[in-house]
Amino acid sequence: MHNIMRLIGIVICLAYASSNAFATDDIQEAVMRGAYMATASDCIACHTSAGGKPFAGGLPIASPVGTIYSSNITPSAAGIGRYTEDQFARALRAGIRADGANLYPAMPYTAYQLLTDADIHDLYMYFQHGVTAVDTVPEQTALPFPMNIRLSMKLWNLLFLGHTSKKADPTKSADWNRGRYLVDGAAHCSTCHTPRGFMMEELPGQYLGGAQVGPWFAPNITSDIDSGIGSWSKAELVTYLETGNLAGKAQAAGSMAEAIEHSFSHLTAQDISAIATYIKTVPPQHTASDHQSRFSYGKPYSALASLRGANPIRSDTDVEAGGAQLFDGNCASCHQARGQGSKDSYFPALFHNSATGLANHSNLIATILYGVNRTTPQGQVFMPGFGGKVNNVNVLNDEQIATLANYVIDQYGRGDTPVKSEDVAQIRAGGPTSPLLLLARMGIAIAAIVGVVCIAFLIVAWRRRAVNK
Amino acid sequence: MANDFSADVIVVGTGVIGCIVAEQALDAGLSVLMLEAGPRVERWQIVENFRNVPPQYKQNWNAPYPPKPWAPHIESELADATTDYLQLEGPNARAYRQGYVRYAGGATWHWAGICWRLHPDDMQMKTLYGVGRDWAFDYKTLDPYYNRAEYALGVCGPSEVELQWPPLPRSKPYPMGRLPFGQGEQRFTEAAARVGVTNLPAPQARNSGVSYDGRPPCCGNNNCFPVCPISAKYDAASALPRIESKGGRIRENAVVYRVETDEKQNIAAVHYFNPDKQSQRVVGRIFVIACNAIETPKLLLMSKDERNPNGVANRSDQVGRNLMDQPKISAQLLLSEPMWTGIGPVQGSSIIMTGQGDFRSKHAGALLRCENAALSAAGGQAALAKGLVGKALDTEIRRLSACTARLTIEHEILSDPNNRLTLSDKKDWLGLSKPNIYYDVGDYVRRSHRDYTLPLLKKLIAELGAVESTIATTFTNSDHMMGSCIMGTDPGNSVVDVDCRSHDHPNLFLPGGAAMTTGGCGNSTITMAALAMKASDSIVEQLRRG
Repeated sequence: MHNIMRLIGIVICLAYASSNAFATDDIQEAVMRGAYMATASDCIACHTSAGGKPFAGGLPIASPVGTIYSSNITPSAAGIGRYTEDQFARALRAGIRADGANLYPAMPYTAYQLLTDADIHDLYMYFQHGVTAVDTVPEQTALPFPMNIRLSMKLWNLLFLGHTSKKADPTKSADWNRGRYLVDGAAHCSTCHTPRGFMMEELPGQYLGGAQVGPWFAPNITSDIDSGIGSWSKAELVTYLETGNLAGKAQAAGSMAEAIEHSFSHLTAQDISAIATYIKTVPPQHTASDHQSRFSYGKPYSALASLRGANPIRSDTDVEAGGAQLFDGNCASCHQARGQGSKDSYFPALFHNSATGLANHSNLIATILYGVNRTTPQGQVFMPGFGGKVNNVNVLNDEQIATLANYVIDQYGRGDTPVKSEDVAQIRAGGPTSPLLLLARMGIAIAAIVGVVCIAFLIVAWRRRAVNK
Repeated sequence: MANDFSADVIVVGTGVIGCIVAEQALDAGLSVLMLEAGPRVERWQIVENFRNVPPQYKQNWNAPYPPKPWAPHIESELADATTDYLQLEGPNARAYRQGYVRYAGGATWHWAGICWRLHPDDMQMKTLYGVGRDWAFDYKTLDPYYNRAEYALGVCGPSEVELQWPPLPRSKPYPMGRLPFGQGEQRFTEAAARVGVTNLPAPQARNSGVSYDGRPPCCGNNNCFPVCPISAKYDAASALPRIESKGGRIRENAVVYRVETDEKQNIAAVHYFNPDKQSQRVVGRIFVIACNAIETPKLLLMSKDERNPNGVANRSDQVGRNLMDQPKISAQLLLSEPMWTGIGPVQGSSIIMTGQGDFRSKHAGALLRCENAALSAAGGQAALAKGLVGKALDTEIRRLSACTARLTIEHEILSDPNNRLTLSDKKDWLGLSKPNIYYDVGDYVRRSHRDYTLPLLKKLIAELGAVESTIATTFTNSDHMMGSCIMGTDPGNSVVDVDCRSHDHPNLFLPGGAAMTTGGCGNSTITMAALAMKASDSIVEQLRRG
């Protein structure tokens, strides 16, 4: 009897499924396109915490005004399961949650506002039907006053959020237009690579000219030969985006490693080519102090001859290690004695390397502190950090890292401005903080003082008038 | 109960065993205090120590670990007051010159990372072959703890069943795939096959191609001993920061010299000297002595009191007895063609099937290995000795470095109560007794060497096409110390029970090599680590019961 009931059940299910076959196929295709757009938009990088479930949020993101925690964007009650497509679109394009509260622009809605209706729809279908629901509420963002007033973002949006999608440029190829759409929209390159103004807004006049992002520096990727990546061929740019490793020039770490790992290395060859086509045409941004490209500094060098022999350093003496000793003990085992790296460039050369050739030393310091962990279809690239995290191979203090970094930039990179231990401390603390917070608070304090003074003046004036009467 | 001088679990020793127990206890919510006799030194400093060691001492794995006066260990080739720390006697005294390290992190600082499990037959020597002892449990009992130990250390090994050892279906795959052979090992593997034996890739606690536990993949520096410069090989030093992040406390330069019992024969405290020779007393609920097979029995023997006149945990009189290792014979070969050892880790494979067979009723089984260390130092010294100069010297250094090979035999040994550690009359810097060791490898090993391993070694040497070869005539140490607090079910002839708990003191655990009943011919560490996992479960359970 039970079996007969089960059989009837199966038949009904099959009949239902076949009648919905078309609809199901449509949904499936939208979900698949949406998954690709979610990859291109690198949603997972911010919306997944270390060791956490995909898209369940909770990743702490260091910002100059405090730590922002990403939200749960899975289709659950704790996530965006109750969002309508309109609400979803409003969050992506206008930075407004379903409950009407404003998002902080750590969510790159200023870029996502360029996404087409079709792409938004596909993304919605993916996040509703293609993502596993997780019902955990991540840690809530609690920025310090006055940034905790989300309403202030309304004014910010009024000032800085564009509301028109860029029209395709008919004078340019379809490839170029697709590239610009991906670069400015989904891939939100300018979110990191364009410097920001006093109010944390992107400065359009310095588009992709290089900016600090927490402890890392997202360098100039305009077509300038010295300051940007104008010296790269299109094929080199494609290699970099697909693998994160361009031998003799640059390797991706930090949030760029995440972008390569989760996003660029999974895009179609056509889209990567389109991105490269467009990036190659971005107008140059030149920094006056740059006289050669950051990929051209340094040469092989070893100080070993001065280290061995008569008075070798030993752990049981109290001799302070210099840069050459720190380099030999901590770096040379992989990057080799002369800093030349390995032949397969798994371990990059330290000369002709973006991290050592930049005027801004953040990336060198951050790499030493936090290491590199980048997985692409080619495999994993891993460098341990030296900043005192659990399981770090060695633990170096700020002074040691400054000594080591100075040795590295002097021998292998751009050594015109030395690294100070305070610089290391700042990167260790998560990067420079914004004066915005202090100024906003000072502004409020000044406004309050002015208010008090005005009231006092009015009272005095009123009394005087009363006395004079 | 946790302050500067107390914790739920007091762990003496910060090597692999101490670290496993400490982390398991911390994960179970217990407080842990670890006491380490030696100093805590950063890896890069040890790397620099090693690179600055003069060439003539480069083969002395302890040379980059200068001992502190209060924590002497063997530093064999260096002229120093501490070189006579181990007092060795007996027919094979040289074969117990064990190079362990009294540093935070212990001797895994300079182990090769090789993780051969015991073969099930190794655990039933008495039943199957009428020699030695049987373990108190079988291989199946140990298997889940082996798995946990392999995941704790990060062991890479072959996924192909026919390349796995022991030749049984694995209950869990290795955490990582195997490392490839270098050219030298490949050539040795082919020669072995022609002789009729199989050279297997060794399971090893080394990251193969990927990071593990935040440690990077092996990049082939080929100096696993005396130190992995990048921590791609597991060593206990890499576990110390993680233990601290979980709330464990580590006190270095704390030389435990006495285990104190109470009237109920529980352990009440341990006492340690700091470098100022001041004594401190540390109390806890469970005490774990994880100082391996020399320092653990030494400490127990030093702790004798009215209730325990032969030393703590020594009602059986077996503490310090049954010392085992794997007596080693080395051979150096010169080939007409390059062997190219040195690509990859210093060891990566072994012929281990030669440890098994019915012959074990008559003589020992053994493991044979081609060392994969780069032999440029040996080649260089040999070339210099020829009095060459200039280009001729360069050419000869290159030729000898490439064409030299080293083969090793490591024999299993039977537990013999006469192979014994006692307290020497000689004192160390703190006034503590130095260990005295009597060691005889025994006829079981000598017969194996004469009738079995030496003939096989000679066949391999011939098959490799050696034009010259020198086979050592003296047994040397393998640094695999075992047996001196031997495990068993009978408190009359063994020191610890199946969980490495002292038969005499319910809150005293002695996990590690000292507890091993037999050692087979493979390296001891992964079995020690499995026993530490088993002991940890028992410790946690015992404290839960209250």
